[in-house]
Amino acid sequence: MGATIAKLAERPNLWPWLLLTPLAIYLAIFFLVPLVNVAIMSVTEPRLTLANYERVLVGALYQRVFLNTFLTAGLVTLACLLVAYPLAYLMNHSSQRTAMMILLLVTMSFWTSFLVRTYAWMVLLGNNGPIIAFIKAIGIEIPPQLLFTRFSSTLAMVHILAPYMIMNIYSVMRKIDPVLIRSAESLGARGFALFRHVYLPLTAPGIANGCVLVFVICLGFYVTPVLLGSPREQMIAGLIGTQIEEFLAFGMGSAMAMVLLAVTLAILAIYHRRFGLDKLWG
Amino acid sequence: MQSYLQLNGVTKTFGDFTALQKVDLAIDKGEFVTFLGPSGSGKTTTLMIIAGFEKATCGDVLVEGRSLSGLAPHERNIGIVFQNYALFPHKTALENVYFPLQMRGVKHPVGLKNAADMLELVGLKGFGHRYPKELSGGQQQRVALARALVFEPSLLLLDEPLGALDKNLREQMQIEIKRIQRALGVTTIFVTHDQTEAMSMSDRIVVFEKGSIQQVATPLEVYHKPRTRFVAGFIGESNIIEATVVDPAARKATAEHIGEIEYAPSEFSLHKGTPVTLIIRPEHIRLSRDPKKGRHNARMKVETIVNYGDNALVIGRVGEQSMRVRVLGADVVIIKEGEDCHVSWTPDSVYMIAK
Amino acid sequence: MDRFLRLIGFLVIIFIAAPLVIVVPISFSNARSLQFPPPGYWLGYYQAYFSDTDWLRPTFNSILIATATTVLTMVLVVPATFALVRHRFYGKSVADLMMLMPLAVPHIVMAVGYYSFLGNLRLVHTHMGVVLAHACLSVPIAFLVLSANLKGFDRNLERAAQSLGASPVQTFIHVTLPILRPGLFISALFAFIQSFDETVVAIFISGRDAETLPRKMFDSIRQEADPVIAVISTLLFAAVLLALLTPLAWSSIRKRLRKRPPAAAFSGG
Repeated sequence: MGATIAKLAERPNLWPWLLLTPLAIYLAIFFLVPLVNVAIMSVTEPRLTLANYERVLVGALYQRVFLNTFLTAGLVTLACLLVAYPLAYLMNHSSQRTAMMILLLVTMSFWTSFLVRTYAWMVLLGNNGPIIAFIKAIGIEIPPQLLFTRFSSTLAMVHILAPYMIMNIYSVMRKIDPVLIRSAESLGARGFALFRHVYLPLTAPGIANGCVLVFVICLGFYVTPVLLGSPREQMIAGLIGTQIEEFLAFGMGSAMAMVLLAVTLAILAIYHRRFGLDKLWG
Repeated sequence: MQSYLQLNGVTKTFGDFTALQKVDLAIDKGEFVTFLGPSGSGKTTTLMIIAGFEKATCGDVLVEGRSLSGLAPHERNIGIVFQNYALFPHKTALENVYFPLQMRGVKHPVGLKNAADMLELVGLKGFGHRYPKELSGGQQQRVALARALVFEPSLLLLDEPLGALDKNLREQMQIEIKRIQRALGVTTIFVTHDQTEAMSMSDRIVVFEKGSIQQVATPLEVYHKPRTRFVAGFIGESNIIEATVVDPAARKATAEHIGEIEYAPSEFSLHKGTPVTLIIRPEHIRLSRDPKKGRHNARMKVETIVNYGDNALVIGRVGEQSMRVRVLGADVVIIKEGEDCHVSWTPDSVYMIAK
Repeated sequence: MDRFLRLIGFLVIIFIAAPLVIVVPISFSNARSLQFPPPGYWLGYYQAYFSDTDWLRPTFNSILIATATTVLTMVLVVPATFALVRHRFYGKSVADLMMLMPLAVPHIVMAVGYYSFLGNLRLVHTHMGVVLAHACLSVPIAFLVLSANLKGFDRNLERAAQSLGASPVQTFIHVTLPILRPGLFISALFAFIQSFDETVVAIFISGRDAETLPRKMFDSIRQEADPVIAVISTLLFAAVLLALLTPLAWSSIRKRLRKRPPAAAFSGG
């Protein structure tokens, strides 16, 4: 046996296959099979029809959830961009030490579990939290309900996903040659014109990267919308969870999962054709 | 007599591309041979085939008459210094030098002593405990050399080892490498694209171009008797004059702008009408106001004078033929740019290459 | 424009820092429910966490599962990364893409898939089931880190080792592995964290028996928002801070040690 493998390995083009095989088999069984299983369930549960897809795509409830999910994902992406760009700019225009400190903070936020950050927002926005206390202090008797609304879940998602955007934009902004900015200024570009004609085009790849990443993660986000969002305004992931956990409606859950998967993969496929998928997380 | 290292018809192809075309070469024991050529000329490929990292498509490499073809790189006992030194970053200088001994089962006290001795030989006594990144470029170079020599290899290969060093350090290391090589008497192949390095260090130079050997000769021979036009152009400065043989017996040829020129005796035997290339080194041409007796004279219009202090390069035209003349710094005062003057040479300094 | 962007930048720092800062005082609070600022401080919730098996068991499960996941991931990913970075072969670009796919599929979709697939294998609600699922999700992350490291690896180092007499196996052990060690470590660390933090799949498949810490936290937040979560958050937070600061501190310590004058020339070995 050993001799045979050694002999096979002598042919150089067989080595990579030998090294790849264990992982390939593993991913085939524990990644592809479960996915195919979802696809099969979506058309066989409870019986062999396409009715699940019909309900998912046409039903008013589901349409509203999909629409809500897209709007939320778009809103979160936009908010992340608005939050990330000024911070990246600040980092790029600060001393090395300050930039390092900010980067440390962002990295720390990034590495802190989604759950921990969701919990923190629960504390911040809760009825006994500092924000409500502040609102009461300035004299508003009946403060608005912040927790378990679309506002709270969106805010927390922006906070959770902003580090992705910040890191992406900062990494391209840092590479802009300061001489370029100075020469643009010497040529008369300043203020918004400088931003529009120099910064924006040069940071566009980072923006594109960050937006795709944030949007796609947001589409399939489960934890934060379920914990912080309004039960009446669910997102797809939450609804899939409800279908499976509460109604044991595997067919419906699977059909929705397949639609979510298709949308996600379509976005990533467009990105892959233009930039190459390995850049997205690199 | 059998040579120490022999390459027999070594050929290497990558798909349609031929990187090496039937290379034959014989090197004697203890020789210092330089592979000289531009990048992509096949010199590094040849080195990699000798080292065993590339397999020759056909042909064979022999050391003392024994073929290396069945041996893996680690079985060949060949020391290599890589372009970027390839020192192990996780090992100290001493551990780096000890590594080949460790691989050969030499136990600690003896092995470390040998390694330390070798570091001393390359002038790095007291640096053994440092890691590569704590050493300067020149010091890293010495460690790499010590590491490649400590196991008494049958052959030492140096792949452009001086490329990353600045000019002064480079000259110092040239002398140093030569000294160590002499002291140990190890047969050495040095790969470079730098002709001055090749000139100053080698016993013999092998000139590569486009995957084949152009010339194998001593540095002086390569300089004074280039075998091909490529060699003439690549090594040193040359005035290259296209001409046609008019009288083979009298060694006379005629060139378009200069007229009849007599050339030095040559190994090529040619007949009338053969196109040839004539080579005159710029330092063999003299510059004067008036024609010189006993030399071949031509009128040149001076276009540019580049001063180097101790000498100067005068660039001008004889008719449409561009000419470069090296003159001593003191002599350059006699002419100015835009003036006419005379250039002259003796037939001995006109070297002829057949096409 | 410049001043405007800077001002917003400062506000964003507060936005990012506030939630990270707030959980720490909450964990020391003596209030019965969530309240900020806390009326007083004590260590009661820490005591509660460290004495409650309902919290300690998921913690232990998570450590166990993440460790097993890391081992499994690395065993699969290391050879595959060598194949994909070092070799060219037919179908390589497809293989490259496949390595990243688990990162592209939303976790909720995988959770639905694992719930029924592992159920069929009778692996749902078992440690083994969670490990098998988590390893899939850790593969692309470990691969991205390791392949970036391997691409930067100077292959002349291996050639040098071989020319010096090291066989391919010796070269791997004495040169490749030690030089790649930091990359392997970080890759394994990422695989570990991915599994330790993974929530969605664990919610669906870990059940009571293999309940992970994120699942327990999720349930707890959903039901009562137990302040013990602030304790765990603070501890996790401290761990992240430690992990980020250790390499910085370590490199500055090493630099200081290096500055000693060379003590002995003959100190290798």
